Amino acid sequence: METNGQTYNEAIKQLEDISRKISTGELDVDALADYLKQAKELVEFCKQKLQSVETEVNTILGEQTPD
Amino acid sequence: MTPISLYELNLQVRSVLEGTLSEPVWIQAELSSVSIRGPHCYVEFVQKAENGNTFIAKAKGQIWGNKWALIRPYFEQTTGQPLSPGMQVMVQVEVTFHEIYGYALNVIDINPTYTLGDIARRRQEILRQLEEEGVINLNKELELPVPVQRIAVISSEGAAGWGDFQNQLLNNEYGLAFTVKLFPAIMQGERVEQTIIAALNQIVAEQDCWDVVVIIRGGGATSDLTGFDTLALAENVAQFPLPVITGIGHERDDTVLDIISHTRVKTPTAAAEFLIHLGVDQLMRIDNLKAQITDGAQNLLHQERLRMERLMGRIPTLWELFKTNRQVKLDNLFMEIRNGVRTLLDRQQHRMELITTQLHAASPERIYRLGYSVVRKNGKAVRDASTLQDDDLVEITLEQGIVNAKIQK
Repeated sequence: METNGQTYNEAIKQLEDISRKISTGELDVDALADYLKQAKELVEFCKQKLQSVETEVNTILGEQTPD
Repeated sequence: MTPISLYELNLQVRSVLEGTLSEPVWIQAELSSVSIRGPHCYVEFVQKAENGNTFIAKAKGQIWGNKWALIRPYFEQTTGQPLSPGMQVMVQVEVTFHEIYGYALNVIDINPTYTLGDIARRRQEILRQLEEEGVINLNKELELPVPVQRIAVISSEGAAGWGDFQNQLLNNEYGLAFTVKLFPAIMQGERVEQTIIAALNQIVAEQDCWDVVVIIRGGGATSDLTGFDTLALAENVAQFPLPVITGIGHERDDTVLDIISHTRVKTPTAAAEFLIHLGVDQLMRIDNLKAQITDGAQNLLHQERLRMERLMGRIPTLWELFKTNRQVKLDNLFMEIRNGVRTLLDRQQHRMELITTQLHAASPERIYRLGYSVVRKNGKAVRDASTLQDDDLVEITLEQGIVNAKIQK
């Protein structure tokens, strides 16, 4: 299981890639819809990573971060 | 030989001392203990041998209240630290001998810059050694992981610094998630080095659970930093596998730890702000990308719509064009056909005429009219006289009438 940092990095790189594709016009209208959907999921994933309460450490240490 | 009393002896020592060492004298020594009782401050001076661990001289000292009230602020303002064990100091002392308390140095003045110089010298010495070992920048060169969420904190349990740090980090307004754990250590006095190294070792044992280490020491502007300027601690932090963020020194000067750590902040709250800022950077990075993508998409769609509209706009004209050139084609075709037909007819007409004239030219009447006559033998026209013999019967057609004849060669 990747540490949470690594998957976050992957997601954000994909987002950058989509953004680049759109700006360079590599994407045509048909592909646009799928990429937009994927981008939306990636954004949510990244935000969730940053703001999610349960991080990997909790599961190991069995602690609850004070909310 | 009559003995003298101890008291008399001590009196004599006292008078000898006061006789020869009556003037105050400036001395340089190391403080091995400092204890403040009421308005007075009691110290012990030592001097170590070159090899640094055996003492070659010792003396008790006291700074009476009236002097201490001046010396203390003066020293702390200049050095930013309280008088603390381990410091090299330059003080002006009066040599005293009391029948009961014995020999003691009465401190009446101090030169804080000497101590500052010594602190700075010690720091330079440690930095130079780290430089030599090539480890001085190791921690700085570590890359902060992205995102930074798991924080191992080294601070003293009860310190305000730790409380502020934890509060600020865990209640940040951006909803950033952090996992924070305290690895307690003593941040003051002799046991600083030993306890921080112990805490660092604990963290290294669970290194994969942590992104960064934060060493913070809240507390007033003047606090004893000597514990942080030690080679062993510096080497440990320099070579620590995780980035270390330190908030130990204060406004004016950095400890060795601050200098070699990955990032140096001024206060525990500044440390929290630094970490929160890293998270905010990531949030902004995501939002920027999101914006770029949506703008890009809308732009793309807009271009397509424009293209379509342009096409649509041109369709009617295209259609007109299409129709007109179709119409033109039709007309042309029609004309071609018509012309074709006409020429065809003309040509036929012409051919007919030709034929008729040819026929007419070849018609026998015209021949007869010109005076020619046609000789036929057995109904066939004779063109070669040699095919005729005597007495053959032939028929001669003339313009007007036909006659029969017999051949006489």
